[in-house]
Amino acid sequence: MSATRHTRLLLFAAILLGAIYLFPLYWMYATALKSGSEIFAYPPTFIPRGLDFGIFAEVWATRDMGRFIWNSLVIATGSMALVALLGTGCAYVLARYRNVWIDIALFLVLMLQVLPASLMITPIFVGFSALGLLDFPRFAVMLAFTAKAMPFFVILVRATFMSIPAELEEAALVDGNSRIGAFALIALPLARNGILVSAILIFMQAFGEFVYSKSMIQDVTLQPASVGLNGFMGPNTVEWNKIMAYATIYVTPILAAFVLLQQRIVSGLTSGALK
Amino acid sequence: MTIQPQIELLSVNKHYGGFHALKDINVTIPKGSFVALVGPSGCGKSTLLRSLAGLESISGGEIRITGKAVNDTPPRHRDVAMVFQSYALYPHMSVRDNMSYSMRLRKASRAEIDAAVADVAAILGLGDYLDRKPNALSGGQRQRVAMGRAIIRNPKVFLFDEPLSNLDAALRVHMRKEIRALHDRIGATSVYVTHDQIEAMTMADHVVVLKSGVVEQQGAPLSLYDTPATKFVAGFIGSPAMNFVGGIVGDTGRAVTLDLPGAPSLPLARTMEPRRQVDVGLRPEHLSIETGGAPGIETTATSVESTGSVTYLYCGGDPEIVVVLSERERISQGDPVNLTIAPDKIHLFDPETGAALR
Ligand SMILES: Nc1ncnc2c1ncn2[C@@H]1O[C@H](COP(=O)(O)OP(=O)(O)OP(=O)(O)O)[C@@H](O)[C@H]1O
Ligand SMILES: [Mg+2]
Repeated sequence: MSATRHTRLLLFAAILLGAIYLFPLYWMYATALKSGSEIFAYPPTFIPRGLDFGIFAEVWATRDMGRFIWNSLVIATGSMALVALLGTGCAYVLARYRNVWIDIALFLVLMLQVLPASLMITPIFVGFSALGLLDFPRFAVMLAFTAKAMPFFVILVRATFMSIPAELEEAALVDGNSRIGAFALIALPLARNGILVSAILIFMQAFGEFVYSKSMIQDVTLQPASVGLNGFMGPNTVEWNKIMAYATIYVTPILAAFVLLQQRIVSGLTSGALK
Repeated sequence: MTIQPQIELLSVNKHYGGFHALKDINVTIPKGSFVALVGPSGCGKSTLLRSLAGLESISGGEIRITGKAVNDTPPRHRDVAMVFQSYALYPHMSVRDNMSYSMRLRKASRAEIDAAVADVAAILGLGDYLDRKPNALSGGQRQRVAMGRAIIRNPKVFLFDEPLSNLDAALRVHMRKEIRALHDRIGATSVYVTHDQIEAMTMADHVVVLKSGVVEQQGAPLSLYDTPATKFVAGFIGSPAMNFVGGIVGDTGRAVTLDLPGAPSLPLARTMEPRRQVDVGLRPEHLSIETGGAPGIETTATSVESTGSVTYLYCGGDPEIVVVLSERERISQGDPVNLTIAPDKIHLFDPETGAALR
């Protein structure tokens, strides 16, 4: 009896925390649907009075959102592809071989994860400009972001590879595979879920990337939605509902995708992709 | 007729960093024979087998398969098949695909694969499970799939790494016979790793006993039992294990006095160096209880266990002496007994080196 009360208490606490955590998200949706005067009403209204869905189409058109979102997609897809391509091999080697150099590499990888983007941007900017990479700003952002996101991916995927017994690949070697064949035909298919899930997480991160894009992409036609949103907000902004509408259009697809894939993502991260 | 050696290991050495895992291993395996590698855990059995498969590179010496040195040959070109202790079945493939994996790798035709799979499935009784994934099989069935994956290859050499250790006792005894029968039927050469000396004794033509990376002794199973070369082999082969008692050879060299209460003296079948310290080995099944006045070990039974077919007698203490009797004897705890043994069944070992004294 007291056990059920205990559970209920915990459930209540969970819901409360969830509500607090998700409140800003709700506020974004609510504000987007409010009229200009209602935004500044005091006390603030919790539920918008008149619902005005036309605002989304208007913001989409006036702010050229199609172009911004396209740029975000290009950068996110490119980054994800680069990270997955380079990171999978790296994670595999780090999972399968053990020696001092591997330990050093692992340490460096973890250290990279600690460095904030805002600190890294200056040396990256200088280096890229010297190499002429800034003439291809979106590609430059992809490269920089790949470097930033790689440790996260490598650590997740390495754990996946480590959960696959090395004997499976050894059996494949004896059965007639080359080393690379055993990796491609045995390890890779078994790690598929883990790689896929980690890649999706990278995509989501890259889709919201701001620091590198803001610094490296001057040409407005090449900027992603995150920078576009930032440009929308000036010191004298009053159009909060439009800004929130922009934000809504920007994050809702990602949010929806996450909710749809949530079960796979969680299980992929915890179960280690075997079975 | 000289039998062509299928596998030769010539002073094979293996180091893991500073650790010397295999020390100067020399073994010759004739074609068609069944060789067991036995030894306690960590003695290097798996390492030796993996070196044969090419999964581990050796640090010195030479491995030859059908006369050809394979030191630098990758596993896929050695034409060996291996059954792993964990079975190592590919979890994302059906039983059929697991077994035919090697054939698909060498681009065998569809018809050829189907025929081979059907063949092997019939031999192993796996016909009903071909479309299942490994995780939907019992331990015994998985073991068979692992065997099937090896058999389908029709390789020069089969390598088994403790393939039965995950099965229950009854199935283990059954599979033991089956693997041996399969070996005879296919006419393959097999190397079988086990830590179970009974498996080694019952299955193999030739047993190699390893201890800390060294070959202690090799030979036919019964020769290891009858004439163990070292105290280690004597204690390892045979169950229950041989009893060891310290002792000293008598003045005439024709008897040995044991380090036991009452200093019992046993006659020897051969003349030894007088007054020499020795370790005396007495197999439990060679000891018998004598009621007549024959010279033996006067002691008391501290505990008696009977399985119905045999009786285990534990006598004395420090060291305890185990006796196996096949007759049912009416002895109970605390009874005095006189243990005797035929002089030619007494094993003597050097206390320092452990080498057998003959
Ligand atoms: N990769 C490795 N690096 C360092 N030492 C190793 C490595 N693999 C095995 N060893 C050592 O080599 C020795 C032999 O190992 P091996 O696996 O061959 O033992 P085994 O006889 O098969 O034992 P078990 O019966 O427990 O399987 C062990 O002492 C082990 O610690
Ligand atoms: Mg082993």
